[in-house]
Amino acid sequence: MLTAQVAVRLGTLDLDVSIEAAPGEIVAVLGPNGAGKSTFLRAVAGLVPLTKGRVELDDVVLEDAARDIHLPPERRPIGVVFQDYLLFPHLSVLENVAFGLRARGVAAREARVTAGSWLDRLGVADYAQARPPTLSGGQAQRVALARALATGPRLLLLDEPLAALDASSRGAVRRDLKRHLASFAGIRIVITHDPLEAVALADRLVILERGRVVQTGSPAEVTQRPRSRYVADLVGVNLLRGTASAGQVRLTGGASLQSADGPDGEVFAVIHPRAVALHRVHPEGSPRNVWRGRASALDFQGDRVRVGVEGEMPIVAEVTPAAVRELDLAEGGEVWVSVKATEITVYPA
Amino acid sequence: MRSERPPVLFVVLAAVGVAFFVLPLIGLLSRAPWETALGDLFSPEALTALRLSFVVSIAATALAVLLGIPLAWVYARVPFRGRDVVRALTTLPMILPPVVGGVALLFAFGRRGLFGQALDAIGIHLPFTTAGAVLAATFVAMPFFVLTVEAGLRSMDRRYEDAARTLGAGRWLVFRRVTLPLIGPSIFAGAVLCWARALGEFGATITFAGNLPGTTQTLPLAVYIALETRPEVAIMLSLVLLAVSLVILIAMRDRYLRAF
Repeated sequence: MLTAQVAVRLGTLDLDVSIEAAPGEIVAVLGPNGAGKSTFLRAVAGLVPLTKGRVELDDVVLEDAARDIHLPPERRPIGVVFQDYLLFPHLSVLENVAFGLRARGVAAREARVTAGSWLDRLGVADYAQARPPTLSGGQAQRVALARALATGPRLLLLDEPLAALDASSRGAVRRDLKRHLASFAGIRIVITHDPLEAVALADRLVILERGRVVQTGSPAEVTQRPRSRYVADLVGVNLLRGTASAGQVRLTGGASLQSADGPDGEVFAVIHPRAVALHRVHPEGSPRNVWRGRASALDFQGDRVRVGVEGEMPIVAEVTPAAVRELDLAEGGEVWVSVKATEITVYPA
Repeated sequence: MRSERPPVLFVVLAAVGVAFFVLPLIGLLSRAPWETALGDLFSPEALTALRLSFVVSIAATALAVLLGIPLAWVYARVPFRGRDVVRALTTLPMILPPVVGGVALLFAFGRRGLFGQALDAIGIHLPFTTAGAVLAATFVAMPFFVLTVEAGLRSMDRRYEDAARTLGAGRWLVFRRVTLPLIGPSIFAGAVLCWARALGEFGATITFAGNLPGTTQTLPLAVYIALETRPEVAIMLSLVLLAVSLVILIAMRDRYLRAF
C-alpha cells in the first residue's frame, strides 16, 4: 500500500498531490506537460525533497516533512524506469542490470547470475554483453525494466515509458510492457502525457493538472464523465459547466440547455460532437436545444469533419463531408445548431 | 558550398599570420644537428633533464588530478557565495606570467616565506628541491585540468546519477561507478593538457625551484642553459618538446576546442 501526500514547490511549479495505491494496482498519472508529473515521481523516489507531506509504503514511512524524516533514494524499496531509460552507457547490459544488486552488496558472481536470469525473463538475454547505445528502443526498455525489477522493489515507477520510442514501434512495445507489468506483483505507477498509453496500461487514472489532482477513477469513468477541459479534449467531447434545476442547465456563460434528466445543483454537461446537428435554417421538430452560431474552424479527419461553432454557446460538432457540402459550410459562415435533450449527459460537478 | 573569391588583403594577412608561426619552426629544424642528433639527445645533461622533466610533469599531473577532481566537482555542483571569485583565483595561473607565480610561491613557501618557515620547522624544504619544481608545475598547469573537468561535469546528464541512486547506490558509489566513468573523457583530456603545460613549465620553476641539474633543471630550463654552452643540445631538446606538443595538439584537437 502506498500513501503519498506530496507537496513540492519548485520554481513556478506548485505541486500538491495525494495518491493512494494498493498492491497489484496499476495507476497512471496522466496530465499535460508541466503539470508536475515527473516531479511527483522524483519526490516519491526521494530525488526531490518534500516541502510538505509524507510518503508511506507498506507501513514504512519513507518521508515525513513534518518529522524531518527523509530516507535517501538508495534506501527506498522503489524501482524506477526513467524516461529515455538512462541505461549506463559505459556498462554492458548485464552490468547495468547487476548494478543495483552490486550496490546492495551482493557478490559479483551472484549478481551477474541474477541479472542474467532477469534478462532471460524479459527476453533480452542475447544482449547481455551489448552496450546500451546499440539497443533498439524496445530492447532498451526491457533492459531498464529488468534493471529496476532486479533489486526486488515493492513499488515500480515508470516515467513516460514509451515517449522515447518512434510511433511505429510504440504499439508493440506498449503491449510488451503491459505483459511485463502484469507479471510484477507490487504497485505500479506509470507517468504519462499520452491518454492512449494511460488507458491501455492502467487500472486507474489520476489526472494531474497544474500540480493538482483534478480527477481520478477507472479509465471508463474518467472518459465517460470528464471533470476538466483537458480530459474532455483528450476524449474529444464537449464539456460544459453550469447549475442544473429540473433538467434545465444554466451555463456559466449565460446560455442554458435542456437535458432529459440529471441531478440538480452544480453539474458538468457532456455532449458528444456526433450528437450536435448543424442546419442552414432554423430546424423544425423536436430538438429542445437550438441556437445560432458561426462556423469558426473546419477540421477534416478522414470521413468526418469536426466543426467548431462560435456563438453564445461554443461547441464542436462532428459531421460528414457530404453534410459540409449540403450546408455550404465555410469558416465564418452562419449555421444553426441543435442538440436533443436526451443526448446531454449531466452529472454532479 | 559557397566559392566566392576571398579578399586579397585577407589572404595576404592570413599568410603572414601562418608564416609568423611556421618560420621559427623552420629555423629550428634548419639548425638541427642531424648528424650528431642521437649523441646530443642522449648526452648525460640532456638525459638528466629528460628524466627529471618526465618525473616532475607526471607528479604535477597526479597532484592536479588528486586535488582537481574534487575542486572541479565543488565548482560544478556546490553553489556557494563567492564561487566565481574563488574560481577566478584558481584559474589565474593560466594567464598570469609564470615568473609572477614563481615569485608568489617563493614568498609563500620559500625559506623566508609566510608558510615556508613553518614548513622548514617540520622538515619540509620546497625551494631548490624537486618537490618545489613539482609544486611550481602544478601551480601553472592544474587550472587546465580543473576547467576541463568542470566543463565535463556540467555537461554530463545528471539523471544517470539519479538512476544509480534509485538502484541503491550511495553518493560515493554513484560518484565512483557512474560520475567518474561518464566524465572519463574530460578527465583524460584535462590530464593531458595539464601534463603538456607542466612539461613546458619554465618561469615559475626557475624562480621558485631554481636551476639545479638533476634536481630542478627540467627540459625547458636545460634548453635555456644549453643555448649558451651547447646550442645543438638545446635544439634537440627543443625538438623533443615541439614533437610532444604537436602530437598532443593533434590528438586533442576536438577536445581542446570544445573545452574552452
